[in-house]
Amino acid sequence: MNVPLTLLAGTTTALGVLAVSCWRLRVQARVLRRRLEQSAQDLQQLQMAFSRFAPDEVIERVIADGVEARGEKREVTVLFADLVGFTALGETLDPSVLVRVLNGYFARMSTAISLHRGHVSKFIGDGILALFGALAPNPWQADDAVHAGLAMVAALEDYNRELAAEGLPTLALGVGIHRGAVVAGLVGSRDLMEFTVVGATVNLAARVQSLTRDHDGRILVTAAVSAALDPRFRLRPLGEVGVKGVREPVRVVAVDGFALP
Amino acid sequence: MALMREIEWEPCLLEPRRDEALDRRARATLGRRAGALGYFAGLPWLANVAMDFQSCLMTRVHLDHDLADLVSLAVSQENSCRYCFAVTRMFLILLGYPPRRIAQLEQQLVTSEFSDRERAALDFARRLSRSNPLLEPSAREPLARAGFAEPAIRELTGLVGVNVFYNRLSTLPALPPETMEALPERWRTRLLRPLLGRVMRRYRFHGVPVPLTAAQRQGPFAGVVAGFDGLQIGAMLHAALEAAWASPVLPARTKALMFAVVARALGCTRTEAEARRLARVAGVGDGDAEQALAHLDSPGLDALERLVLPFARETVWYQPAAIQRRARELRETIGVERFLEVVGIAALANAVCRLGFVAVER
Repeated sequence: MNVPLTLLAGTTTALGVLAVSCWRLRVQARVLRRRLEQSAQDLQQLQMAFSRFAPDEVIERVIADGVEARGEKREVTVLFADLVGFTALGETLDPSVLVRVLNGYFARMSTAISLHRGHVSKFIGDGILALFGALAPNPWQADDAVHAGLAMVAALEDYNRELAAEGLPTLALGVGIHRGAVVAGLVGSRDLMEFTVVGATVNLAARVQSLTRDHDGRILVTAAVSAALDPRFRLRPLGEVGVKGVREPVRVVAVDGFALP
Repeated sequence: MALMREIEWEPCLLEPRRDEALDRRARATLGRRAGALGYFAGLPWLANVAMDFQSCLMTRVHLDHDLADLVSLAVSQENSCRYCFAVTRMFLILLGYPPRRIAQLEQQLVTSEFSDRERAALDFARRLSRSNPLLEPSAREPLARAGFAEPAIRELTGLVGVNVFYNRLSTLPALPPETMEALPERWRTRLLRPLLGRVMRRYRFHGVPVPLTAAQRQGPFAGVVAGFDGLQIGAMLHAALEAAWASPVLPARTKALMFAVVARALGCTRTEAEARRLARVAGVGDGDAEQALAHLDSPGLDALERLVLPFARETVWYQPAAIQRRARELRETIGVERFLEVVGIAALANAVCRLGFVAVER
């Protein structure tokens, strides 16, 4: 009698241990699945966030193949904006006020740019590099960039009224726009990488922006841009201008506004 | 579903309408009442086209139904269409599809349990639906490697095009997704799921190849229609384009220019050329058309065209809430009937540009 009882007790214990192990495994599997789902969701949210900075194709390639040095030639319109005389202003303002003023400026400018289908590639000090046609093909990129420039000027006027009401100094903006071929891709080091564009087009946009200090006009564009513009933009040719780093003189045009129908 | 539910979505811009004739036709075509098609009852041709395309989604010739449903879900997600995603997800759950696989699809998991064939089809569908940039003919190669023959690739393309059409038709007027999103989780749905699933399986048809007639090979965008010879969508696309062009709500020239703008945005030269031909037939001079396309405005455009051409451009790539706010402004300005036709034409134009992937040179 003792043998079957011992056998029964042993079997029961073994079954109990097995049941507990199974239950534990199930719980662990459930926890793992939950973690996996959470990670997948985080990844998806990251991917959605990244799509604001790089084309979907680039993000998918990064996910599939990892970060690779690969560039593509694209036709884009580059807008470069800079605050005139801000460096001197920075020396007189309290640092916390300076940062607040600058952040308010960046927020307004970014809104004006994205409303006209551009994307801010980077902030460089108080400068802004914005691209049109870099994330998705855009046959209306020149019109969009100049509309964005005008919207930035208008937004700054509003912001200046707010600053003046607070007794703070107002800001002055210069915008340079050029269109041409660039190399777009992931650029940077292993630690810090970004989707951006490089090439003479970017440099020329920055150079044209710097001309706003010496010429009458807050928005200056090159002939490559003005040739593609809607005839309703009010343009004022400024002639050929020598630009640092460019061998041939550059034809520059000031944009004074847009005639609504 | 959490991710899709997080997409910002405006209140609906249309009032659904019960329409006896539409209901009768829906019972004959789809085996049920018109339901959400009632939102488009104010423009009969659009409601009928939406119904025909729905029956098109229920009939497969070369692809299997499960893959087709997965493709619909993926395209809806790619276009951020909460409404279409919720409807397709609900159908899949009722049909007994595991919610875990749906979640994997939503999260676009690289390591998910999809077969190579499914993955190739889903990848193609996402890229074609996005069309940024427009797909080259070489996009067929991964599909061919995964075992898809040319007729199946054409059917897959048709499926993406029809879903692109539905995504615009649902997103632009912000059809309300909340009920559809909640339905699969309700206890009554869960209880009746096996029964509902069996009923729904009866409405998944296996079609046979039907060649286009001579008349169906003529008309707007005949080259694109011809690419679907033998598939149900070929005849339906022909009928849809004929009905859209025959409608008197918007002038033919406005519709042609809207197609041309969408084609220009996507870089689809074939569709743009055909749309410009149609605009010329409708009396738009080449100079006016070129300026309208170059700047979305021209002295030769009327006030309505000045409003709808920039809107057509926005329907290519968009954030749902942003385009829905623009759509609301447009509806207030031009009225519901014309708004419905603008939505229908924009949806068709976006679909035709994607469907052009298999267009036949003419």
